[in-house]
Amino acid sequence: MKGGVTNQAVTVADGLALSGVYHGFDDTDVLTDVSLAVGREEVLAIIGPSGTGKTTLLGLLSLFDDPDEGTVEFGGEDVWSLSERERLNVRRQIGMVFQEPHLFDGSVRRNVRYPLDIRRPWADRIRNWLPRFGHRSANPVVTEQLELVGLDDAASRHVSSLSGGEAQRVAFARALSYDPEFLLLDEPTSDLDPRNTAVIEDAIETARSRGVGVVIATHDMHQAERVADRTAVMLDGSIIEHGPTQQVFDDPTDRRARKFIDGELIY
Amino acid sequence: MIGSGIPTTACTGLCGPLFVEFPYGYEGILNIIYVSLYVSLTAVALSTVFSITVAVLVGFNDFPGRGFVIALINTGMGLPSVVVGLVVLFAVSNQGPLGQAGFHLVFTREAMIMSQFVLATPVITGISLAAVTGVDDGIRDAAHAMGGRRLDVALVTIREARYGILTGVLAGLGRAISEVGSVLIVGGNIEGQTRTLTTAIQLEARQGRFELALVLGVVLVALVLLINGLLLKLGDRQIR
Amino acid sequence: MHRRQFIGLVGGSTAAVLAGCVGDSETGGDAAILDETLTLTTTTSTYDTGLLGEVNGAFTDRFGAEVDAVAQGTGAALETARRGDSDVVMVHARGLEDEFMREGYGVNRRDLMFNDFVVVGPDDDPAGIDGMNEVTDAFAAIADAEAIFVSRGDNSGTHNKELNIWEAAGIEPSGEWYREAGSGMGEVLNQADLEEGAHTLADRGTFISQRSELESLAIRVQGPIEGGPELLANPYGVIAVNPAVHDNVNYDLAMAYIGFITSRDGQELIREYTVEGEQLFFPEAVAEIPNFQQYVPEDWKPET
Repeated sequence: MKGGVTNQAVTVADGLALSGVYHGFDDTDVLTDVSLAVGREEVLAIIGPSGTGKTTLLGLLSLFDDPDEGTVEFGGEDVWSLSERERLNVRRQIGMVFQEPHLFDGSVRRNVRYPLDIRRPWADRIRNWLPRFGHRSANPVVTEQLELVGLDDAASRHVSSLSGGEAQRVAFARALSYDPEFLLLDEPTSDLDPRNTAVIEDAIETARSRGVGVVIATHDMHQAERVADRTAVMLDGSIIEHGPTQQVFDDPTDRRARKFIDGELIY
Repeated sequence: MIGSGIPTTACTGLCGPLFVEFPYGYEGILNIIYVSLYVSLTAVALSTVFSITVAVLVGFNDFPGRGFVIALINTGMGLPSVVVGLVVLFAVSNQGPLGQAGFHLVFTREAMIMSQFVLATPVITGISLAAVTGVDDGIRDAAHAMGGRRLDVALVTIREARYGILTGVLAGLGRAISEVGSVLIVGGNIEGQTRTLTTAIQLEARQGRFELALVLGVVLVALVLLINGLLLKLGDRQIR
Repeated sequence: MHRRQFIGLVGGSTAAVLAGCVGDSETGGDAAILDETLTLTTTTSTYDTGLLGEVNGAFTDRFGAEVDAVAQGTGAALETARRGDSDVVMVHARGLEDEFMREGYGVNRRDLMFNDFVVVGPDDDPAGIDGMNEVTDAFAAIADAEAIFVSRGDNSGTHNKELNIWEAAGIEPSGEWYREAGSGMGEVLNQADLEEGAHTLADRGTFISQRSELESLAIRVQGPIEGGPELLANPYGVIAVNPAVHDNVNYDLAMAYIGFITSRDGQELIREYTVEGEQLFFPEAVAEIPNFQQYVPEDWKPET
């Protein structure tokens, strides 16, 4: 694929894609003609100055909202033409981590188990609400996800006792607990110190190696260089540069993309 | 010595240390407490389910008349209990719509539950509404992003707001168990049937037995304190 | 469907438990009306004196049927019965009772018992009414002296009697000294007791049963029981709610109750009921020469 072609759709048969999307709030377009796709077992970084539409783009990919125009596709199907039930199944293949952890009040274990709990039949869930005495047996999935982010000994801790970095790592484990096909990360490390950032980036790499397709929105170009196979540069709601990461950073074709990468485009 | 016709025998143990002539037998006082608890706890339990549902629906949906509903809830918090009692009386009376429909509810505990439900609901709904709308949007987004349905998101919201909701439930219970106006009107203060602590207090005060009324008042306050303690303890327990 | 059965359906086990501790079904009784419930609305005076507890307990022992006694004022008790929310009323205001019956809501009224009203006032007797023989004079003296008078003001039997007396005395009470409490007898006695130098009209029964709680009040004008004027007589009647008007009322049980309370046994219970050694109510249902007149409202004539 030739790098640097603006807005060229990367069609992936089993991927998650936006195609010709326009979207906005209150009559102002935030996204203009965006086409983008991510496949399994790859990491796609979206970089660009803040306020440029990255979060809106992730919101569309995670099916929070349907686009004003254009389509969101999963495995080649228009997601918003599916029934609600089918769309729920698609949503349940997508994980998300926000800039802030947004953990539920409760233990680390409860947070990581939550996505699994809501996938169980109601009868099971209601039984689970009843008070139970004695020790709860450890859930292997929970333990595995917590190991991934280096918090396997923290399962019983209350989330209020976690540091910001630990909390974000729990949020990461929570998003992976149900083995999603795609993982969306919205500035996941922008509030974190280098040590916690490294843990998250390692976990991204692990997730990728397990076959997860990752989209990471970041304003940290070095992070994109470290983790992404492909990178898209966004500016004012459009993708102005898109290609293999190395190519985008070494030889961007778009003039504004070059300025951004060179650190001259200050917003 | 006169005890509204109740045998004055079994006045041991409980009444001894109180230095008040106790006209109720031990069973009598237990029955009054039982009726108070039965009526108020049932009313508050029903009201809690209803109120939380309304709070979540009103809190996270925009619909025409939403502002009116909220104004209604806030006004309802100050509804005088006698007015509620009268309205419920007209509804359940044999001449009223429910009476005409064949229900014999007047002077029953069920009618008292109805009026306390009406009294407690605006309080619980109002406080729950503030609690659920105070939940961070990010938490709701997270529940949705993890694959939660609307109901899952609502349940997460309720769980996050549970301390606020509990405050509302306690306030509603306080309103229900301590009110006398409506239960007197719709319940009739029938001994052994619809006599609650508050109507018993009213009865004793009417007859000038202020000390006894006061003792019953202490029992009522102790009961409310006990329930508050239990519920707070329950709410405090870490759920997983 | 009767109220008891309905509670059984709705309240389930709780009602069953309650029936177990309140209903004394082991004493036997008429199987046909066992476990039914009679709703009686009555005045606070019969209730607060404790008489009803005595009589109703005996009725339940005899018939196995519960009596739900709801103590209201005479006006409210009749109003509740008008709506068909009670089966039988026991009240003491002949004028209101007659109206109730003329409107067709009540049938089979029986004179039940009587006691009398007394005018109570403070020890220092500011209006100088102590021992007066005419209650109208006493009321006039109170009005002249503008001594405080606490009125029930609640359309009860006592309130009606008080208004009749003012009317007979030719006075329209108003002013700072005349206070309409809008409360029951017990509350008004408390209020008059707590207020310096206040008078009120009380039924003798409630006054006696509450006397030990009252500090400053004493009887100033006696009723007919102690030789006072007939105007202070306080007759009680018991009336069944007309089943032709309200088909839901438990008429046969109401008549069983009226039958019991006007029987020799029932009247004996009333005669023997004492508080602090004093008889409060005087039965008048049983007489060798029956009072035929009592069945009809005053001035009622059969259509010819």
